[in-house]
Amino acid sequence: MDFDWTDEDRAFRERVRDFLARELPADWAEMSRHGPGSKEQTAFSLEFCPKLAAAGLLVPHWPAEWGGSARPAWEHFILGEEMWAAGEPRGAQYMNVNWIGPTLMRFGTDEQKRRYIPPMAAGKAIWCQGFSEPNAGSDLGSLRTRADRDGDDYVINGQKIWTSYAGLAEHCFLLARTGQGNGKAGIAIFLVPMATPGIDVRSIPSLIGHGDIHETFFTDVRVPASARLGQKGEAWSIINYSLANERVGIARYELADRVLGRMVDELTQRGLFDDPVVRMRAGSAAAACDAARILVHRTVDKRSRGEVLGAEASIARVAVADAETVVTDFALDFLPDAFSGPGDLAVQTHHERAIVTGIASGSIEIQLGIIAQRWLGLPREMR
Amino acid sequence: MRFAPNEDQATFLGVLDQMAEGHEAHWRTSPDWSRFDWSAAFDRMLEDNGFLDCAREETLGLVAAAALTHRVARLPVLAECAASSVLRPMVGAELPRPIAVVEGRDDAATRFLTVARSVILIEADGIRTAVLTPNAVAPVDSLFAYPMGRLTPGATDWRAADADPQRVRNAWRAALAAELGGVLKGGLDAVVAYVKDRHQFGRPLGSFQAIQHRLASAAAKIEAAYWLALKAAHSLDPADAMGALGFVQEAATRITNDLHQFMGAMGLTLEHPLHRWTYRARLLRSAMGGAGTHLQGVADTRWRAA
Repeated sequence: MDFDWTDEDRAFRERVRDFLARELPADWAEMSRHGPGSKEQTAFSLEFCPKLAAAGLLVPHWPAEWGGSARPAWEHFILGEEMWAAGEPRGAQYMNVNWIGPTLMRFGTDEQKRRYIPPMAAGKAIWCQGFSEPNAGSDLGSLRTRADRDGDDYVINGQKIWTSYAGLAEHCFLLARTGQGNGKAGIAIFLVPMATPGIDVRSIPSLIGHGDIHETFFTDVRVPASARLGQKGEAWSIINYSLANERVGIARYELADRVLGRMVDELTQRGLFDDPVVRMRAGSAAAACDAARILVHRTVDKRSRGEVLGAEASIARVAVADAETVVTDFALDFLPDAFSGPGDLAVQTHHERAIVTGIASGSIEIQLGIIAQRWLGLPREMR
Repeated sequence: MRFAPNEDQATFLGVLDQMAEGHEAHWRTSPDWSRFDWSAAFDRMLEDNGFLDCAREETLGLVAAAALTHRVARLPVLAECAASSVLRPMVGAELPRPIAVVEGRDDAATRFLTVARSVILIEADGIRTAVLTPNAVAPVDSLFAYPMGRLTPGATDWRAADADPQRVRNAWRAALAAELGGVLKGGLDAVVAYVKDRHQFGRPLGSFQAIQHRLASAAAKIEAAYWLALKAAHSLDPADAMGALGFVQEAATRITNDLHQFMGAMGLTLEHPLHRWTYRARLLRSAMGGAGTHLQGVADTRWRAA
């Protein structure tokens, strides 16, 4: 067991920081307030990500065959920590890096890989995630959107909601039901171009940034059978693989920790950090961030050894949500004026992003259920 | 960064697991309904099999000592492990064991003193050690689930230890964090077994979501505590050590109270071992100054060190 970064890891982090210092514009703090799915940040990501790719910093952990350098999984995570802490200049493209690309590499056909992965590796692909429906949120397995076979095509009808980044996306990673009945076995995954006739997207105004969540309607949307990802009956395991990667994909603790540091600097300047209560709460928040960080790092370590993530990802996610709450409470208790007027942009941005942590990628209640049943071995709740 | 144990550490922990399954480590009620079960036999097994010297082995190190401390703390029986495996190699003395650790005031009621053969005193400005003489300790009745004693004034021949006090303090904090994490894990495992077995309303208690979620929250804290403690033992960095101990001390009472809640009246009896973990956790919660001291220490180390 060894908990130190290697010299190589440290050098890589410095390289990423230098790149960010060089490439982020002067008004980035203001721009990044709008959220990764906003028009401003999406447009910026389409300039920024190709530069990242050219510098070998977009998908260094991917195999060379798909535009990477087969670098260790740790580099992927160092990148994720630095990018999220900087306000996520990759916009929605972080999803490609974290889970859509790896999922296609693992489960896609040769044609799907050739078509979709190179634009991701070049930093020019915006995808959205078509999972939740009005009646299928935490109970994702009960989704109703249908994909019915018609000759060589599937015809998709249904409605998605909370669809991340749908407004500006070119493709959707879509879940739909092909089989009969309500079970998970009847679910399939489709890779759907958003320009296909019959797709209607409505942005939902939200607390978490402009352009992040949407309603998406599918009316007689026709896609070829080749748009289906994975074999029959394989979709639910692919979804679990994707979600496990997604849950720990965003390094939320890193932004929380850095915002905590900014708040301490501000309180020190105001002469308020001598208060032992403030210092204890700051220490508690720092420890919560460290707890989240080490549990996420454990999942990275496991993945770096080629092991599939299980309940460890849910344990890490619960710790991340705790850290977000503790840091947010610290801000509200000791720097309430940061939230009004010009305030502190970083504190405000963190606060707006933090509120989603217990809901996105499977609610905390779902994570706790996974921990209870798969980690502690408790019996499934009887229904 | 590597979370998996190396080959030697994996073997070490595997053999330890086997030993922890032996009858010397099993739960049994005390004939006199004592709050603790000091297992001289298991304690001796740890020593005789060389487990307590693991920190001196290059391929095992203090991380293995912290993992050992955590594993032993999970048991319903009591053995002295943290001081012997983590501190003894650092204080430069071949102290006879079991070893008690006195923090700050040498007149405080201290765990293990009545079974200890030597003592380490951790003071603000230095570390001292002593071999205990027969009249040096008076037993103390206590609610805590340890053999408690108090040093007799003037009966201890202290010697200054040739050790960096800060390094020793950080190692002790890491050891205590590992121990308290193990104590909480021992209690959690016992309660998980109970709620799988105990049926009410025609179903296992552990199938109720209200119980599952609180046990899962406890499990997440306990997992974090384990890794933070091992990292602290690896680095001996003051912020890591105080963060690890402060984190688990802050979480301890909520977890032990929940564990008792789900065990119901059975957890109030001395016929089930839960009380042993609870009343170890109650003592360890305040060790080295408690969560408030350590969390302030994290803040001071991180932001006011300059």
